[in-house]
Amino acid sequence: MSFIEVKSVSKTFRINKRKSGVTGMLANLFVPKYEKKEAVKDLDFVIGQGEMVGFIGPNGAGKSTTIKMLSGILFPESGEIRVGGFIPYKQRKAYVGSIGVVFGQKSQLQWDLPVIDSFELLKAIYRVPDETYRKNLSRYTEMLDMGGFLNQPVRQLSLGQRMRADIVAALLHSPKIVFFDEPTIGVDVVGKETIRNFIRELNSQDNVTMLFTTHDMQDIEKTCDRLIIIDKGSKVYDGTLPGIRERYGTTRQLDVEFSGPQEVAPIRHVEIVDLDNNKKRFIFESHEVHINELMNLLLNRYSIRDMNISEPEIESIIRKIYSGEVF
Amino acid sequence: MRDVIHLAGVYTKITAKSWFQYRVDAVLRSLAVFLRESTGVIVIYFTLLKFDDLNGWNTHELLFLYSLLFLTYGIMIIFFTGLRDFGNTVRSGNFDRFILRPRGLLFQLIFANADWFAAVGHGGLGLVLFLVSAGKVGVTWNLETAVYYLVAVAGGVLIQGAVFLFLATLNIYLFETRSLKELLYYNMRKFAGYPISIFHKAVQFIIIYIMPFAFVNYFPAQYLLRKEDMAGYPQAFLYLTPVVGIGMYLLAYLFWRYSVRYYKSSGN
Repeated sequence: MSFIEVKSVSKTFRINKRKSGVTGMLANLFVPKYEKKEAVKDLDFVIGQGEMVGFIGPNGAGKSTTIKMLSGILFPESGEIRVGGFIPYKQRKAYVGSIGVVFGQKSQLQWDLPVIDSFELLKAIYRVPDETYRKNLSRYTEMLDMGGFLNQPVRQLSLGQRMRADIVAALLHSPKIVFFDEPTIGVDVVGKETIRNFIRELNSQDNVTMLFTTHDMQDIEKTCDRLIIIDKGSKVYDGTLPGIRERYGTTRQLDVEFSGPQEVAPIRHVEIVDLDNNKKRFIFESHEVHINELMNLLLNRYSIRDMNISEPEIESIIRKIYSGEVF
Repeated sequence: MRDVIHLAGVYTKITAKSWFQYRVDAVLRSLAVFLRESTGVIVIYFTLLKFDDLNGWNTHELLFLYSLLFLTYGIMIIFFTGLRDFGNTVRSGNFDRFILRPRGLLFQLIFANADWFAAVGHGGLGLVLFLVSAGKVGVTWNLETAVYYLVAVAGGVLIQGAVFLFLATLNIYLFETRSLKELLYYNMRKFAGYPISIFHKAVQFIIIYIMPFAFVNYFPAQYLLRKEDMAGYPQAFLYLTPVVGIGMYLLAYLFWRYSVRYYKSSGN
């Protein structure tokens, strides 16, 4: 069942194109020139209820714009968006009560006041019943290990603590959908792990639908079943995490350590790179070169001490997608 | 309705708590506002000691005129601080957060930012001036004049609120309107501290029809004081303050409703 539906959505921003220098400034003042920037181009995707989707792309790819359209902050220029039966930008008040949004870069807590005061304000804003509020608060603060700093002013919290408080703040009204926009940014390794565990648990236990943007591939690997990659406003991949390896990660590398200095004759379809200490790296496409044949060939011809075969890291595949090397 | 009042109460509690984090600063701030605005009054006071009157207005009558200006501003700013600072809210992207909460946008802007202390500075000055002058300007205070006075204050609050709402709305298109507010609002208010009949026709035109401060203090004061220079204006102006207030506020509100749709959040 589709819960979030995005149908050929586009959004263009008009950017004032500034010229440099004094004459440019004057020209800009009287005859401003605008440039159109297509933040999102013809974007399509569907997300089912209870799905947990990673939404990634390089800076400026249109992730935030998409999240803002999905949460009703921006309206799309063309196309259609439906979330849980609502049209976000048209039915704002009815809609936003059922979603939670965490902006990792922008806190919604009251800076000068203890964390608990912000929570109580949110309780009033969202009309959360006392019972639900108490239950959610005790459950989430325990899961995120927050008991120690509920009564501390937000300005005294570490970044990791503040982020956890912000996550709870977005969940107090039991939203059905949660958008996480970089919820682990600047958080240390232990903090990230806590947040990931929490998100995974919430998704599996409460069937909350989640969309998760991040620049940390570990976040995605540890939490999301599905991945949507966008670049320059368009979708370039939509599928599972293992699927991305199958589709783009066909490159293999074989590291070989010889018993002594060794010259190697060229092999068809294989790139050979010199490493240190009698080591060489053989890089090839798995559909062009059969790994058994390559290994047999090397073992027959040369004296070999060690061999190691590896797949490319997800991280490096993503980097290649961003830089436009693979499509 | 009860729910809305409850939320307004929680907002106020939060704001009060924040203040008490910096109570010395908060008290000093209202004192600073009080003193800053008082200097203007003191200048008039000493000038008038030399001249006896200004176009027929004596010192106490001028203070009465002034008191209306500050009283209405003081009440208005309690609720409209959020609109005064709306440019910041838009530029920092914090307006996004208001959109994400299931409550009216204006309601949130007003109650999340209500600034009671600055209001004490302005309103306090207005109140002091009123108390000093009200007994000495020859107004007989009865039910009729009291009701007129209250309605006029409400109208004056609405007029200035409408201007703030209008300028705040412009932020959606322009991102910053501080200089415009300086030009249109604060500079014009300096004129409104005097009986407008002393100014050139062009200035009077602006202050009656463009940025109608005349309806905030001059005409209401005229109703109560009946000075001779009122002869230069239609008698109907004495009663128009609430109409102008409601009309302007309605227009500003419609402009706001229309423009919020075009809000572009600042990227990050």
